[in-house]
Amino acid sequence: MLQAIGLSKSYGAQTALDGLNLEVKPGEIFCLLGANGAGKTTTINLFLNFIEPTSGLAKINGLDVASDALETKKYIAYIPEQVSLYKNLTGLENLDYFATLASGAAVEKSRLVGYLREVDLPSGAEDRKVSTYSKGMRQKIVIAIAMAKQAKALLLDEPTSGLDPKASNEFSQLIRKLAGNGTAILMATHDLFRAKEDGSRVGIMRQGRLRQVLNTDEFGHADLERIYLEHMHD
Amino acid sequence: MISQIAKKEMLEMRRDGRFQVASAIVLGLLLVSLGIGWQQYVSVNRQHEMARAETREQWLSQGKKNPHSAAHYGVYAFKPKSPLSLVDRGADQYTGVAVWLEAHKQNEFKYKPARDANTLARFGDLTASSVLQLLVPLLIILMSFSSFAGERESGTLRLLLSMGIAREKLALGKALGVAGGLGMLLVPAALIGSAALVLASDSGSFVANLPRLGWMTASYLLYFAAFVGISLTVSALAKSARLALVCLLGFWIFNGLAAPRLFSDVSRTVHRTPSSFAFSQRMDGELKKGFDGEALKKKVMAQYGVTSMEALPVNFLGISLKAGEDHGNEVYDKLYSELWDTFEAQNRLQQQGGVVAPLMAMRSVSMGLSGTDFAQFRDFSVAAEKYRRVLNDAMNDDLKNSPKTEGPYMADEKLWSKVPEFAYVMPEVNVVLGQQAWSLGLLVLWALGATGMAGWAATRRLRAE
Ligand SMILES: Nc1ncnc2c1ncn2[C@@H]1O[C@H](COP(=O)(O)OP(=O)(O)OP(=O)(O)O)[C@@H](O)[C@H]1O
Ligand SMILES: [Mg+2]
Repeated sequence: MLQAIGLSKSYGAQTALDGLNLEVKPGEIFCLLGANGAGKTTTINLFLNFIEPTSGLAKINGLDVASDALETKKYIAYIPEQVSLYKNLTGLENLDYFATLASGAAVEKSRLVGYLREVDLPSGAEDRKVSTYSKGMRQKIVIAIAMAKQAKALLLDEPTSGLDPKASNEFSQLIRKLAGNGTAILMATHDLFRAKEDGSRVGIMRQGRLRQVLNTDEFGHADLERIYLEHMHD
Repeated sequence: MISQIAKKEMLEMRRDGRFQVASAIVLGLLLVSLGIGWQQYVSVNRQHEMARAETREQWLSQGKKNPHSAAHYGVYAFKPKSPLSLVDRGADQYTGVAVWLEAHKQNEFKYKPARDANTLARFGDLTASSVLQLLVPLLIILMSFSSFAGERESGTLRLLLSMGIAREKLALGKALGVAGGLGMLLVPAALIGSAALVLASDSGSFVANLPRLGWMTASYLLYFAAFVGISLTVSALAKSARLALVCLLGFWIFNGLAAPRLFSDVSRTVHRTPSSFAFSQRMDGELKKGFDGEALKKKVMAQYGVTSMEALPVNFLGISLKAGEDHGNEVYDKLYSELWDTFEAQNRLQQQGGVVAPLMAMRSVSMGLSGTDFAQFRDFSVAAEKYRRVLNDAMNDDLKNSPKTEGPYMADEKLWSKVPEFAYVMPEVNVVLGQQAWSLGLLVLWALGATGMAGWAATRRLRAE
């Protein structure tokens, strides 16, 4: 579903991503781990066609994102690192706006409210302006937007950072459910625990290179931390 | 989808206190300026109507007198104020709207509000046209400078673009959102303005002015479209919302303050007009040269086949006055058309300014359609001058053919009423459109160019970050 072929991005002399080869199949959750500046967001930006690759290809559903920019976006939903919404609109209005743009037609209010219940936004909060929301509440709106899009692939950039443990746990259940329904998920995260819990595979990145890919059922929690730190130290 | 985007933009604007305050101010100023315009229009028109009736009455009832004295008695001619002048007073304040017509004298313009400033004139140039030409573009800039740049800065643009929405639709939606926000302000103002127009004019003149009103509305819409396009272009290209605002304010200052000043200075330097002192000195000099009276006497005697002045069958005074008038007219025509050609050259040069500043084009079209521009002032002056000559000729002809009696010759109301009342009809809208073709064309180009640029910038140059 998601495919990177020799994907590279340089900013002048700085290499942000170096020859990434990666495939995320439907139903799979792939977690990208790596220090700050490792190239995780760069990878996601390339899949979104927000930046042009220096070389290589990013493909969604077999289509090159650079040549089929609009078509490929129909298959994906995206949760950005910095969650931002329209402050002067309510949570529900934000959800309504994005859901309408994503599907190209108005979405019934009851369905939208259903998504908000599913992400566990406190009831009554949907009619308040987003400017009064906490970071976690904004995040929940964005997750609801991604759910409303009913995409075949999810691109998540640190989706649980800032969520409380309960919300974070619920989020895990949500994406596992989505993966169970055949959604391909690429998630950048710093949360080794969640990566081990939720991921089908984890990839450890450093300085733009994908150093190692592991199947999560082949090691324990303690092993992952050790392997990760080994890569960071050499 | 496009309408959804537009709706969301308008919803955000409605909830933004700053926008509400700004539009309330602009709407308030627009209504006040329309009110001032209306008040002036009504009062000037009433004064004109009274003065016109009075001047005619005085002319007819001036009693028995010599026709030449009657020509010196003089009449007023009034430039009719178009109801649309309540939107744009144009050059009327400086040129005046009434002319005193008397023997030997041309272009004694009276009632220049800029000179006889009353209380309302203290508001300076607060006319609906200046609100529309300067403040509405400023409001458009405030409404749209952050359209793209602000969303990019806050990060919503990333989410928005990840939805897979066509960028041209996004751009169109945003443009329509600004248009809608503007509409919330301008539609009520336009309705109130039209109501004022209906009240200010009798039904006939309102209908007659509908084409002008239609063209005026269309040209202001083009002007606003240009600003929406420019603002969206800059917002899509600029690195930050703040930079977009700075660039747009820079353009606004250039367009509204610097360019008009610059082009007016340049046009006055390139096409110099004499000072009024120098002009009247030259006029006096030319007039004093006079005409050869002896030669005229010989010519007239030869024409009537007589050898002495006493034998002339006509009153030579009438002929000599007519000859004097003709000579004066020749001098006036030459000097004034030189002067007016210079003004016109200045105006043409200023209209070239529309290439870099849309205001220059808009101002010209707006004054033209309001009937308050220089071209229509000249048209009126020419008509008034023609009338003055008809009047003077009638007086001199009568004097020439007057019986030779002992005492001075006296004419009466029979002669006075032979001279028709001065009636001036404003040029048809087509004439104005012809004069404004260049500026109208520029407005169309600005609107198309700017909106096209915005489309290009949003589809090809808009970056998620
Ligand atoms: N616009 C840019 N210009 C120059 N360098 C950039 C730009 N964007 C990213 N980089 C560089 O590319 C590298 C990878 O950045 P990226 O944002 O992908 O890291 P990340 O793995 O997402 O880090 P984090 O965990 O902090 O989010 C970094 O070294 C960063 O400085
Ligand atoms: Mg990142």
